[in-house]
Amino acid sequence: MKIHIRFFSVFALVFLSMSELVPGQEKKVNYGNIPDELVAYDRYQKAYIYHFLEPIQFYGAGREKLPPADLKEVRIGFLGPLEGSVILPLGMQMLQGTMLAIEEANKKGGYKGIPYKLMIHNDVGLWGAAANEVVKMDDEKVWAFIGTIDDNNSHVALRATLKLEILNINTGDPDPTYTETNIPWGIRNIPDDRQSGYVLVDRIFRQDKHSRIAVMRANSRYGRVGILHFNRSATRVGYPIIIEERFSDGETDFKAQLERIKKTSPDAIVLWGNAKESALILKQIRELGMNQPVYGSDRMVSPEFLSIAGNSAEGIVTTCQYNPDANDPKLKAFKTNYLKRFGQEPDVFAAHAYDGTNMLIEAIQKVGLNRVRIRDILTDMKTFQGYQGVTGKVIFDATWNNIRPIFMAEVKNGKFNFSPSPSLEKSDMIYKKPKSGYSY
Amino acid sequence: MLAVVLAGAVLAGLIFLGKPLHSEKVSKNESKSFSGNYQNSSDIDLRNSSGVIKEAKAIPVYGNWHNFTMKDGLPSDKAYTVRIDGDRVLVGTHDGLAVYENEKWHTYTTKDGLAHNGVVSIDVNELTGDVWIGTLGGLTRWSSGKFTTFNQFNSGLPNDLVYCVFCDGKDVWTATGGGAGHYDTQTGLWEIFTEQNAPMHEPWTYGVSAGGGKVYIAAWGGGMIEYDNTTKRFRDYVDPDGFMEIDLQPDDGIVHDITTATSYSDSIIWISTYFGMSRYDGKNWKGYFKTDSGLASNFINFLRAEGRVVFVCCDNGLSSTDGTTWVTYKKDDNSENGKAIITNGNEKKEIPLSPSISHNFIIGVDAKDDVIWVATSKGVSRGEMIR
Repeated sequence: MKIHIRFFSVFALVFLSMSELVPGQEKKVNYGNIPDELVAYDRYQKAYIYHFLEPIQFYGAGREKLPPADLKEVRIGFLGPLEGSVILPLGMQMLQGTMLAIEEANKKGGYKGIPYKLMIHNDVGLWGAAANEVVKMDDEKVWAFIGTIDDNNSHVALRATLKLEILNINTGDPDPTYTETNIPWGIRNIPDDRQSGYVLVDRIFRQDKHSRIAVMRANSRYGRVGILHFNRSATRVGYPIIIEERFSDGETDFKAQLERIKKTSPDAIVLWGNAKESALILKQIRELGMNQPVYGSDRMVSPEFLSIAGNSAEGIVTTCQYNPDANDPKLKAFKTNYLKRFGQEPDVFAAHAYDGTNMLIEAIQKVGLNRVRIRDILTDMKTFQGYQGVTGKVIFDATWNNIRPIFMAEVKNGKFNFSPSPSLEKSDMIYKKPKSGYSY
Repeated sequence: MLAVVLAGAVLAGLIFLGKPLHSEKVSKNESKSFSGNYQNSSDIDLRNSSGVIKEAKAIPVYGNWHNFTMKDGLPSDKAYTVRIDGDRVLVGTHDGLAVYENEKWHTYTTKDGLAHNGVVSIDVNELTGDVWIGTLGGLTRWSSGKFTTFNQFNSGLPNDLVYCVFCDGKDVWTATGGGAGHYDTQTGLWEIFTEQNAPMHEPWTYGVSAGGGKVYIAAWGGGMIEYDNTTKRFRDYVDPDGFMEIDLQPDDGIVHDITTATSYSDSIIWISTYFGMSRYDGKNWKGYFKTDSGLASNFINFLRAEGRVVFVCCDNGLSSTDGTTWVTYKKDDNSENGKAIITNGNEKKEIPLSPSISHNFIIGVDAKDDVIWVATSKGVSRGEMIR
C-alpha cells in the first residue's frame, strides 16, 4: 500500500511541477526575470530560502465591509512630485495620465453613476512626508491610490499602506526593492530596473562585446538602487565596473568626474540619472574628446534629453519600459486624446499612470467599493494577469512586479528608435546555465 | 492545465485513501487533537498528554479566550496595538484609544486631545506612569488626565506617523518613516537619527525597543540598528548575503533587511521581518521560518518578548516560543473556534480552543502575569494562562 501511495505522490508532484506556478506567465522564469547565470550565489551554492516564489496573501479582515450608502463621489488617490521636485515634469505627466483615465471613466458613467474624483497629493517633502499624505488619503476615504516616482517616497508610502490598508498601484518607480518588501498592498505596472540592468548587460557585454565599463550615476537612491543590478550582473558575468562616479541633481559641471573616467580608458560609459543631467554629461563627454559608446537609463528617453544633448545624443542606447511608437490602436488613441487634452505628448509616466488607473477603475467596476476586495482582484494573478494596456501587457511576477519584456531605445537622426530588448535566455557564454534555484 | 487536473485527481485519491499528506515523520509523532468534548481549553489535563505537551510546559499556553469588538464598546474592530497598564488595558485602534477598566471600555479621540484617532503604538513610562501614544498623526503624552501632542512642527519628532514608541527610563524613543526620534523627558531635548548620522540605509524606521543599556531600532531595509546608551555609538546588523530575494545560509545573521520590530528580554534580542524571525544572544544568531519552526507565518507585524518567551504577531496566527518549543494560536476560518498548535521539532499536537482568538491577522500583543491581550485585524482578545 505504502509503495502505491509513494508512486502516486511522485506522479502527482511531477505533474504539479510541470504546471506554471505563477499563472498567466507565458513561460517559466526565475523571480524578477533574473537570467539563470545571474542568480545570486547560484554558481556556488543553493540558498537556504528563496523568497518571492509565490504571491503573499493578505489574511486581514475587511472584505465584509459595505460602502457608505450616500456616496457622492468615488475617491481615487494620487501621490506624485508636483511641487518642489527636480522630477516635477515627470510627476505632471503621471498626474495627467491619471486624470485622462478618470475623465474617460466619468464620461462612461463613473461607478454606477457616481463620478470618480481624484484626490491629489504632493509627495515631496522632508522627513517621510509621503507617509503623512497616505494618512490624509485614509482620512479622505480613498479606495486606492496611484503613484509615485521617487523611490524614497514610494517606500515610505508603501509602509503606510499596510497600516491603513489602501492599495497602491505604483506606475512610476522602477526601484526593484519596492515590490521586494513583501507588503501585499502594493503592485507595480511599470517594469523595474532589474529588467533594464539585465538587458543592458546583455547588450553591452554580449552583443557589443565591451569589457571595460565606466558608470556615472546620480548620487541619489534612484541612481544607487537603479544601477545596482547592472553592476552586480556585470561582475557576475566577468566584467566588473572599472570606475563609478557620481553626480548630484542640479549639478552642471561634470568635468572632474569625467576626467577621472577618461584616465581609465573605458570601452563604454553607462549613465544613470535624470534627463537633464544625463544630457549635460553626454555633451561634456564629447567635449572632452571621449568618443566611447554611451548607454543609459530609461529616464533619458525624453524630449528634454534630446533638446539639451543635441547632436551628442546620436547613437545613445537606453532602455525603455514600453514602445511609445508601437502600432497599437489603443496606444494611438491614447496619444491623440492626451495631446488634445494637455497639449503635449505623453511620456512613459503618463502612459503607465493611464494604464494603472484604468486597471483600478476596472477592478472597482468588478468588485465594488471595498479596499480589500479591490486589492484581492488586482493581486489574484488571474483577472489582471495579461492585462493589455496602452503600454503593453502586464505580466506580474509573484511580487506583482511587471516583468514583461522591455525595449531598447537608440537615438538615430535626433530621434529615439525603439526595438524589442533581446531575450535573456541564451546558450552562449553569458547565459549558458540551464537551471538555477529559482527555476519554476 | 490538464496536468494540474490530473495531479489534483491523484491527490484527491490519496486523500480518499485516508492518508495524511504531510511527512511520515510528522504523522508518526502527531497525536490526534483532544476529543470534541472540550468546550474550553482550560479543561485539558496537560499531565496526561504526550511528551510534546510536557515540553510545552516550559512556555505558557493560553486559553479561556474572550473577544471584544465594536459590539462590546471598541471604537473600531481594527486594533493596532495593546498594552497592559496595571489594572487597565490600553488598546490602539483605527478610530481612537480604547481603555478597558472595571470591565468597561472607554474611548478617547482627537476630541479629547489625541494627535490622531489612528493609534498604532502605546507604551507606559514606568518612572512616571505617563502613557505615550504613537498615532498616525503625531505622538501624544497622556499624563495626569491631560493629553499633550508632539509633532513635526512643534517638536523634534522626525515624522508624524509614529509606528512605534518605547519608554526606556527617562527616555522616549520613537520609530517613524522619517527616522528614529529620542526625547529626553528630563531635559526636553530631542534627537533625530537618520541615514545622515546613523548607519541606516534610509531614514525609514518601524520598530524600537530597549534593554541591557542599548536601544534596538528596526530599520526598513537597514536591518537592526543598535545604539549603545553609554558610548552613544551605533552598530548595524544586516542580512549577510545582501540580497532581498534569498536567505543564503541559515543562522548567519538577521534573516532579512526589511525589519518590522525588535524586543529585548532575558539578554536576548528578537527581531521580526516580513520574511521570518531572528534571535540574537550577543554572539549567535538563529533564524526561524515557517518551514523550519512552529512559526505561524513568515510575515510578522510585531513581536514582544516577556521573560524568555517571545510573542510573535503573524499575519496568519499568533505564535509564541522560547526558541525551541512553539505554541501557535489559530482561529478556524468559519467559526469562532480554533486551536493551539504546540510544536517541538517534528512533534506536533493540537489543542482545540472554543472560542479562539478573535482573528488570525495579529498586529499587537502584550502579556503580563497570567494574562495575554492580542490586537487583531478584527477585534481584541484576552486569554488566560491555562496551566
